[in-house]
Amino acid sequence: MQLLWQILVNGVLLGGLYALMALGLVLVWGVLNIVNLAHGALIMLGAYACYYLFTGLGWDPFAALPVAMVLLFCLGYLIQRYVLNLVIRAPMFNTLLITFGLEVVITYLAQMIFSADFRTVNPSYAGANFAFLGATVPLVRLLAFGVALGLTFALWLFLERTRIGRAIRATAQNLIAARLYGVNPRHLYALTFGLGAALAGAAGTLYGVVSQINPYIGSALTGKSFAIAIIGGLDKSIYVLAGGLFLGIVEALTALYIGPTYTDVVSFGILVLVLIVRPTGLLGRTA
Amino acid sequence: MKFSTKCVLGGLAVALLATVPWWGSAVLVQFGINALILATLAQSWNIIGGYTGYPSFGNSVFYGLGGYGVAIAMVQYGLPFPVGVAIGVALAGAFAILLGLPVLRLRGHYFAIATLGLAEVMIAIVSNLEIAGRNVGLILPLVKGDALFFELALALLVVSTLAVAWISRSRFGFALIAIRENEQAAAVMGVNTTVYKILAFALCGVFAAVAGGIHAYWITYLDPGSAFDVTLNIKMIIMAVFGGAGTIFGPVLGAFVLAAISEILAAKVTSLASIFFGIVIVAAVVFMPRGFADFVRQFRHLGWRYFQENIRTYRV
Amino acid sequence: MDAILEVRNLTKRFHGLLAIDHVSFSLERNEILGLIGPNGAGKTTMISLISGTLEPTEGEVLFEGASIRQLPAYRRGRLGIARTFQVMRPFPGLTVLDNVAVGALFGATGHSRVLGDARDEAQRWLNFVGLDRHAGQRADSLGGPDRKRLELAKALAMRPKLLLLDEVMAGLNHVEIEEVVNVIKKVRERGISILVIEHVMKAIQSLSDRLLVLRSGEKIAEGQPQEVLSKDEVIAAYLGKKRHE
Repeated sequence: MQLLWQILVNGVLLGGLYALMALGLVLVWGVLNIVNLAHGALIMLGAYACYYLFTGLGWDPFAALPVAMVLLFCLGYLIQRYVLNLVIRAPMFNTLLITFGLEVVITYLAQMIFSADFRTVNPSYAGANFAFLGATVPLVRLLAFGVALGLTFALWLFLERTRIGRAIRATAQNLIAARLYGVNPRHLYALTFGLGAALAGAAGTLYGVVSQINPYIGSALTGKSFAIAIIGGLDKSIYVLAGGLFLGIVEALTALYIGPTYTDVVSFGILVLVLIVRPTGLLGRTA
Repeated sequence: MKFSTKCVLGGLAVALLATVPWWGSAVLVQFGINALILATLAQSWNIIGGYTGYPSFGNSVFYGLGGYGVAIAMVQYGLPFPVGVAIGVALAGAFAILLGLPVLRLRGHYFAIATLGLAEVMIAIVSNLEIAGRNVGLILPLVKGDALFFELALALLVVSTLAVAWISRSRFGFALIAIRENEQAAAVMGVNTTVYKILAFALCGVFAAVAGGIHAYWITYLDPGSAFDVTLNIKMIIMAVFGGAGTIFGPVLGAFVLAAISEILAAKVTSLASIFFGIVIVAAVVFMPRGFADFVRQFRHLGWRYFQENIRTYRV
Repeated sequence: MDAILEVRNLTKRFHGLLAIDHVSFSLERNEILGLIGPNGAGKTTMISLISGTLEPTEGEVLFEGASIRQLPAYRRGRLGIARTFQVMRPFPGLTVLDNVAVGALFGATGHSRVLGDARDEAQRWLNFVGLDRHAGQRADSLGGPDRKRLELAKALAMRPKLLLLDEVMAGLNHVEIEEVVNVIKKVRERGISILVIEHVMKAIQSLSDRLLVLRSGEKIAEGQPQEVLSKDEVIAAYLGKKRHE
């Protein structure tokens, strides 16, 4: 029972991070109808940004997070503005291919520049734990969870309450409606993708603190983000959060009761099942 | 070019290729085997993605089932290679029918994601199977000489291309194309879309499985990651699409050209080669989204404006 | 005269919206039945229910005396039910000829299973509707009226016993409408039974043997054109009086 509780706590903490990972993907997918296969690679870049700020400048990873977000935002903006905007009205299949191409470029550039070695970000408090109702909660994981939740909420606020945020949401419905907000569509699209990249960067920073990184983690993370996005549902940030938490808990339970090598079977198996039975996601509105 | 002329040229090309193992260097022969297998995979994708319009991101499953069919048959049961291939094909067919049924009901990118999900699940499942050697994999009996594998791979490519050629001029193929162009209209006009989609999926699975079997036997080693290599999916799609999806020779052309480019660059820095490959993909999607075949066809009257037109049509 | 099509108590509900409300009628062999009613009355829904594109919530559809309610759309196509779509659905990348050839290849069983034969037959249907000049063009390069002709040719190539036409005259000028009316009459002469949805009143009056009027999913009148069109409820329906909930 004790063990189950610990597993659940682990799952929830992990789930928060998962949700943040998927958030950027869902934003770009929902608004721009772009299925970004390079999403995981952007997460990877965020992790490396944090790593170099930590080891090079001695910054605390949580302080480095906003910087990583800004860097990734700029990169995302440029990618959308000068590359993806050129193909955005093509069949969606084309965006799948082009983002794959970007993923390859980013991954191998990273390999060239950062080398293939595994890295971790180990702040001084990395080993600190505290007890929560009988479960051990590592401080970094709790902080990561907190930041993830905070950013999810911040995104929701941004999309609901700010003018630009509402313009972005309007774009998802109708480009003409978006123009009514007086924003140039090319700029608006680029902003959205930049925002998605920034979220990926944040997720990457947190990921680098709780796990090892190397240039190749991109594709696995993209896959995981997909699973979360589909399972939770693409309509609202809160669905993504639910999807992330669900997957985090399911993976933790699978590792405990079936075996750690089966987590992928379960994650992707649920993904396929959800697609077959309820493509709008467990929470999404019925088609 | 008349059809009969194409046939003669094709036959000559095949005959010429068949002689390569006797005068080519070892490196050329190895490159050839890889390229031929990739070309077959591109053709197999062509059937479900190009002709039927269902972009599968999970053909690596069939490839892996073929590989493991051969490996398990030969290593665990001592059966000969052809039996192994038959088993791999049977597995692929069963998979196509059982899982095709629910998954082919999905449209467009949902179908793509579902097949990608299936591909990932298969890797994970096979990594846990004792009979498949779990994560460690299996080692197959060694056969000396690449010539055999070259000829096998070539024969497979020829058969798969002939199958695609038959599709392009048969009632069966017409049904697939109708499904691609407008599935609802096809259904109302008497096409049993479910059966045709599954048959197309199974046919593509068969070719991918045999390719996987040949590959496994050739490299004599198999593990879940390499057998069900997910990146193969995107490679075969890119080769088929850039060569020209929905054409007979497009995927073959696309495979050979892209494999050659890859090989030439890999001789230099590997990362640089991959980066270049990625840039080529991005550029091709921007400038030549409908593939090389379409480019060739339209370049005659549009010239360089072809590229401009593509961007103008698809940009924001 | 026996009924080739019989619809009994047909009802279709979409998440609480009642699109078709317990409608019953029959279509006699070789008859032209006009289906009219204001926008949103459920006319296209009715055709979709008969062709199998939609499944009914309640009720029965009988074709040549046998229930087809369980049959999927493609089986009904093979049995001899063909329809056109109001929002036209050509096969955009295929030539006009090949569009029609699909109908010849997969329509009512027992004919044209070879591509060459199907194309020959398709050519004959293109001549029938007046599209022969466009045979080699891509289907998506056709203009409005020609697209309507293509829809018709595709349906005819299936050699149907029952033809369901959904606003084939929308957007056509007088001359074109005249042509379509003549084509439909020629189709009836071949023994085909026809259900026509139309808004062009003059055309449907002259074309139809009987009229059926729908409003808000309900049948409000059925009978000879003259009678039906002079009924108060029918006139009121078109002048826009809303139905009480």
